[in-house]
Order: sequence, then C-alpha cells, then structure tokens
Amino acid sequence: MTERPYWLAAGTAGWGAIVLWKAHELPQFDQYAHIGPGLMPTAVGAGLVLLGLILALQIRRGVPFEEQGAEDVNDNHVVSHKALTLAAAACALPLLTMKPLGFVVTCTGCFVLVAAAFKSRRWGLNLALGAVVSLVTWWLFGKLGVQLGGLLPALGV
Amino acid sequence: MDPIAGLMQGFSVALQPMNLVWAFVGTLLGTAIGVLPGIGPALTIALLLPVTVYLDPTAAFIMFAGIFYGAMYGGSTTSILLNTPGESGAMMTALEGNKMARQGRGAAALSTAAIGSFVAGTIGTLGLTFLAPPIAELAFIFKPQDYFALMLLAFLSVSVVMGTSKVRGFIALFIGLSLGLVGIDKATGQQRLVFGVPDLLDGVEMTVVLVSLFAIGETLYVASRFGLHVPQLNPLAGGIWMTKEDWKRSWKPWLRGTAFGFPIGALPAGGSEIPTFLSYVTERKLTKYPEEFGHGAIEGVAGPEAANNASAAGVLVPLLTLGLPTSATAAIMLAAFQNYGLQPGPMLFINSGDLVWGLIASLYIGNLMLLILNLPLAGLWVRLLFIPRPYLYAGILIFSLVGIWGVSNSWVDLAMMFAVGCLGYVMRVYDFPIAPVLIGLILGPMAEVQLRRALAISQGDPTVLVSTPLSAVLMAAAVLIVAVPAALHWHRTRKITFPDGDES
Repeated sequence: MTERPYWLAAGTAGWGAIVLWKAHELPQFDQYAHIGPGLMPTAVGAGLVLLGLILALQIRRGVPFEEQGAEDVNDNHVVSHKALTLAAAACALPLLTMKPLGFVVTCTGCFVLVAAAFKSRRWGLNLALGAVVSLVTWWLFGKLGVQLGGLLPALGV
Repeated sequence: MDPIAGLMQGFSVALQPMNLVWAFVGTLLGTAIGVLPGIGPALTIALLLPVTVYLDPTAAFIMFAGIFYGAMYGGSTTSILLNTPGESGAMMTALEGNKMARQGRGAAALSTAAIGSFVAGTIGTLGLTFLAPPIAELAFIFKPQDYFALMLLAFLSVSVVMGTSKVRGFIALFIGLSLGLVGIDKATGQQRLVFGVPDLLDGVEMTVVLVSLFAIGETLYVASRFGLHVPQLNPLAGGIWMTKEDWKRSWKPWLRGTAFGFPIGALPAGGSEIPTFLSYVTERKLTKYPEEFGHGAIEGVAGPEAANNASAAGVLVPLLTLGLPTSATAAIMLAAFQNYGLQPGPMLFINSGDLVWGLIASLYIGNLMLLILNLPLAGLWVRLLFIPRPYLYAGILIFSLVGIWGVSNSWVDLAMMFAVGCLGYVMRVYDFPIAPVLIGLILGPMAEVQLRRALAISQGDPTVLVSTPLSAVLMAAAVLIVAVPAALHWHRTRKITFPDGDES
C-alpha cells in the first residue's frame, strides 16, 4: 500500500497562501528600485502554492517517500508514538518553563524527558544527572559570557 | 595582497601561542562533537558557535578553522565504524570503510581517512591560498546582475542536486526563502511576515533555524525510531598504522580524490556529493583489486574521503571571496562571520586581511594538529561512540538550548525551535533535503538586494539581468541545470508509462 500524505502538499500550499496573503498587503512595486517589498513574498508564496500542487499530483501518482537514514535508527522503522510524544514534550517544555523557572530547571526537565523517550527508566539517576549537566552547562557558558538568565528567576536569583 | 605575503602575515598571527591554543581547542572540540552520532559538521559548528562568540574575532576564527576540519574528520569516524554517514559527503566513505571495519581493518580505514584528509585538506588549503585572492579581485568587477545570476545558480543547483526529489528540494528551498523574508525589509523599512510579533522584526535567527532543523529534528526522529540494540562496533584491531601495501594503494586515490574535490567544491554549484561519488567510481575502475570493492577496498575509503575534505576546502573559496555559501557547513560559517559584523566577500580581504589570512593559516595548522591528534587518539574517539543514547540525545537538547536561548533570551526563539524542530522531523520522515532551507534563508535576502540594485541601475529594465557575459552564462547554466534533468526524466517516464494507459 502506498502512503498518500496529502497533508504535506496542503501544508506547503497553505504556508504559501499565508505568505501570499501577507505579501498582498505590501506594495509590489517601488519608484526607485522597481521591486517593492511585496514582490519577493508574492513570488515565494506563489512558488510554494505551485510546488504544493505539484507535490499533490505526485502523491496522487503514488511517489514513494523513503525515510532518511540516520544514526541509531533501527532498520525496521517501527515508529514509537509514545517516544515521539515524550521527545516533543521535551522540546516544548522550555516554552512553558524557561521564563519562570530558568535555564537549569528547564534543562533538567528536558534531560529527564529525552532520556525517558530513549527508554531509560532510571528516573532518580536521570534526574540527578540532568541537574548536574544543566548546572555545569549554565555555569560554564555563563563564565564564557553567554547570557542564559538567572539560576531561579522566579525567586529572583 | 600577494598570497605569499598574506600567508606569512597569517602565520605570524596564527602561530602566536594563545592562538595555537585556540586552534588546538577547536580541533579537539570539533573532533569530539563531530564523532558523536547524529551530529554532522554543520551542527557541530552551530553548537559550538556560542563558545566562540565571546572571543575576539581573530581567535574565534582560528578556533573555527580547527572545529571545521575536526568536525569533518569526526564525521568520517562515525561513518566508518558505525556505517552511519552524518552527511551526504560521507556516504561513499561509509560504503567501503564500514566493510573494512567489519573485517577488523577499522584502524587502517581510519588511518587512510585521516592521512587522506590531511593530504587533501593541505592541498585544498593551498588551492584556497592562491585562488582566493585573484577571485576576490575579480569580484570587484562583478556587477549586481552577476551576483544575482550566481545566487540563482546556487539556489537551483542546491535544490536539484540534493535529495532524491527535485520537487521536495525546491519546497525546502522555498521554505528557506520564505523564512528569509521575515523581518523589516532593508530597502523600504516595511515589515514583512512579522505577524505583529516584535521579536520577528530582526528576522529569523540563522542559528535557531539550523540548530532546530538538525539537532531537534534529529532527536525527535531518532527517539521515535530508536531500537534498543547496542551499536555494532568493530574493535580497532590490527594496530593503528596501515601496512606498506595499504600506503601503496592509498596515495594515488588521495591525490585523485583531491583533484575531484577541490575544483568541484569551489564551483558555486559544487557540494561534496558529486566529487565523492566520482572519486569512488574512478577508484573502482582503476583498482587492481576490483573483487575487493563492495567488501572493504581501501581505495574506496582513501579516495572519497580525500575528495570530501578537498571539497570542504573548495567550498571556502566562494564563501570567502564572494560571500556565497554552497553547503550547510558554509552557511553556518557565514552566519558566524555575520555574528561579528563581517560580510564575507572581496572587501573582507582588504578590510580584515589579518583575520582572513589568520584563518587560512590556521587551516594549515588545524589540519596538521588533526593528524597528530587523531592517529594516536583514534581509540579515545571511538569510546565516545559508547555514550548511552538517552544521555547523548538529552545532552544534545541541552546544548541546543544554550545556542537558542543564549542568542537573545527570546520566548519566540523557543517557539521557533519547537516548530522548526517538528518541521525537521517531518522532512526526515518524508525525505526532504535540509540544506536548501539554510541556503534559501541565507542567500534569499542577499539575492533580493542584488536584484534590486541591478534593476535600480538599469531603471527597471529586466534585460539587465543577462546584460553582462558572465550573468548571461550563469543564467543559462541555471536554466540548464533545471531543464536538462527534467527533460530527460520526462522523456524516460513517458516511455515507461505509455503502455500503462491512463493510470496516472
């Protein structure tokens, strides 16, 4: 059975449509440079819509989509949605916690979640390791001059 | 400036003790991070950007030179030992290299890769030394339309060459172009695709996109498909050194690989896939041991590996002289230059001669250091492959957060990380090439500037775009690069699908 991911085409064309719509609000031409701020977005948006349509046609014809190879990937490509959700949660966590709880707490959380996504069940060890790695990273890069914020912004530290 | 004088001046900068230390640190870090599975050269440099940002530019770029070659070499170590090429240029190395490793000849494969990289890197850097200044001079007579045509050619060739499908290559490019449009239009001051978010006024941060696409996308992808199997590692049996026979079979492929890699890498449409492939095919034709190919022939490691490294040096030619990145690694180097307020291009050789020549001199030094570092330390690097995967990928996420949160402490960047990370995941699952996104993001705004300049000078006459011989030739090449494969494909598929009737 061929997978028919029409949503890829819809996503491409949809993003193109958004770009086109935003481009429409801008002047297309310009007195001096002849190319106004809107012309490039119009071209790019139109290109994306067109490419989305071509992709939809290809999908209808049944083009194969082969997953890219990567390191550490098992060969039979069994997708674990639970692991994917956990890893995605790890990447989304900073959105909620980075501002109020700071870099160290956030990264500890991310560490534990990613480790869990990779089927590590040693929660206590992961938590401790994550905290140490995050703290050392925060301290070291702070020393190097990278601004990563306070230790615990909510407490004003 | 005369290349020899420039290089001497460069060495006088690069050989200062403190700068040597930075070169060493760069080589070490570059190799260590590059060896880690899932991290190719481009991502290595992106992750190490925050480390260099607070050094003074000269020291930072000297360190960069080390990271650059270190990351290249680290990548080939993983290809050989784990059969997992981190980037397309290492694919051919993995083909024969991993077979050698399985026969217990991993050490010899690593050695021929290391020495081949050294030979190719040194010759490539020599080429860069003598080729870059004249091209930079030439760039002064480049008109805006020439630049525009050159960029168009780079766009089209990147999308056509990379990946399996041209449509998906172009979609990746256009996604990059659309991201490049975000922010205030520099010519008119109008806001474009900002959606009322003040953080987007400055445009999309290159580092954020790159780290998210590579590191976050990779983490999501590998997590969802992770098997609990232990990596099949091949112990480094048989000593570090190659046998006399190995040397005899390696030195010609090194030179031939370099001869393919450097010139093709230096072309605006180059890249590393074509030279490594050509080198592999050539070695298979010329070898006296054709029966060994496919079962671990040392020529098949030596040639492509040299070609890969030489093309990496070649890519620096358009990057430094024209400001034109033609690979993901070059794109991130360009971002690093821009972090320092430097714009690669002909003016760089004049305004920041110290820095450029220091960088070039460091490429020689980094290369030598790499050789000294890697032959004895190969066993140590191999140990890095044993880091438990849960901690490895958790660490990668933390490092990515340093890079992304450290840029401007912006919540929008974190949201972008999540969204672009998911995009990177989808692109991996459905086989979209990733490099065109970066090229579009970085080159798109530059191409627009040149196009506007050209049209402003010609007072809106579009024929100006093909008015110089160079721009006409480049435009023609750009059209051909798309039209020829498309025509061939159409011709072929029509023949095949014709008897099936109206199935499609």
